[in-house]
Amino acid sequence: MIELFKLMRNKRMFMLMIGFILFIAVIGFSLSDRKELTWPEKFLKDTAGFVQQWFYKPAGYIAGFFEDIGDLRLLYEENKQLRLTAAAYSREKIEYNFIKKENERLKEALSFTERQKQMYNYNYLIAQVISVSNDANNRSLTINLGSENGVRPNMAVTTIKGLIGLVSSVTPFTSTVTPITELDESSPTFNSIAVTILGREDESFGILSSYNKETSRILMTKIDEDDKMAVQDTVITSGLGNVYPRGLVVGTVESKQVGDFGLTLTASVELAASFDHLTEVFVVQVPELEEAEQ
Amino acid sequence: MSMNRIIGLMLLLFILEGTIMPWLIPAGFGSRIVPHFIFVAVLFAALYSGRHRALLLGVSFGMLQDVIYFGHLMGAHAFIMGLIGYFTGLLLERKRATLMMAVSVIGMACILYDTAIFFIYKVFRITSESYAFALVDYILPSLFLQLAFALVCYVPARRLFEAQVKANPENEEQ
Repeated sequence: MIELFKLMRNKRMFMLMIGFILFIAVIGFSLSDRKELTWPEKFLKDTAGFVQQWFYKPAGYIAGFFEDIGDLRLLYEENKQLRLTAAAYSREKIEYNFIKKENERLKEALSFTERQKQMYNYNYLIAQVISVSNDANNRSLTINLGSENGVRPNMAVTTIKGLIGLVSSVTPFTSTVTPITELDESSPTFNSIAVTILGREDESFGILSSYNKETSRILMTKIDEDDKMAVQDTVITSGLGNVYPRGLVVGTVESKQVGDFGLTLTASVELAASFDHLTEVFVVQVPELEEAEQ
Repeated sequence: MSMNRIIGLMLLLFILEGTIMPWLIPAGFGSRIVPHFIFVAVLFAALYSGRHRALLLGVSFGMLQDVIYFGHLMGAHAFIMGLIGYFTGLLLERKRATLMMAVSVIGMACILYDTAIFFIYKVFRITSESYAFALVDYILPSLFLQLAFALVCYVPARRLFEAQVKANPENEEQ
């Protein structure tokens, strides 16, 4: 009897070890630098996404209705603001048209290649959020556009307020967005985004390195010592490197400090976008090199 | 009550957790209060239906979560959910857990679960925050949500899982 008991115990221990080894193997597999998801993952994600979209959107409409009622009082104030913005917009639109025409003429005169001309011709795909992960350290969102709609990994995702994240993996009909609050320099899945300051695009430079959860600010590093960026400046993506699009609002500079080695500066940036109750997001499609060359 | 019904209900719970819950949590608290309803259901299975069933449900629903919300690494939820489910069953399946007992066990298991997940992410350097911060930031606030859910679902969940055991008692070996 005791022998049997011992055997049972050993069996339990044995199974635990097997389970642990499997667990490490799966983690290792998922951390490896894979370009695409495997087909069971794609199938599961697409199926789940198909069901989830029936729930998330109606819930959003109902919640949105109540929020709208709450906002009713602010409507007058908001209208006044919007009228001012619209006036400024119509003035700037005229100027913009002139500058755009001139720019095109100059590009033609300098015989820009087709690729150079198309470089900043971004396409904004509108997508619906269909679910939010329930893991505090992995707040990934799922959206209802996938590789069939032209979404590719590493595309930037924004809301009307600003950049919220990057597409981390795609399946045929859905894709997963990793929010920029998951940015971490030391993480194995790190992507660095080059940023600059609105109004001084060719003078300022920095890289978004990590999000500090304790202060809920994102750290911008590798800023030049002579950089003139000031508190309350708007931080936008610079598009250097041509992986991420330029001109997406990230947030505002909150403070500027000397960096770790004293050679460069760092700044903490308050994010413009909020990450709760998201409904519509935009995936920014950067024109691909092959497409432009055709 | 068949096993199919339990799996169906848990699948529905899994979908609701990712779609309806983000709207019920007030704006600004989205990353502080995170629902782990599937885990609570696994614990109910461990308490009232047996450790092997809890292990099975924990591993499969954990894996489902890992695959569908895959962000950094895969397998953490499956392993931890299965392990905690199994050991809760091992410790307590002989005793007839009362409401107080069940709620306190679920509370402790939730803290353990979040802690284990946190340290897995910490080991792989996905997160760099300190444990003390994580505890105050999201582990404790989410604990209250989990406890509230456990209290609300106590009676139906117990009935569901116990009926399942009674329906096919030969599955409960020894």
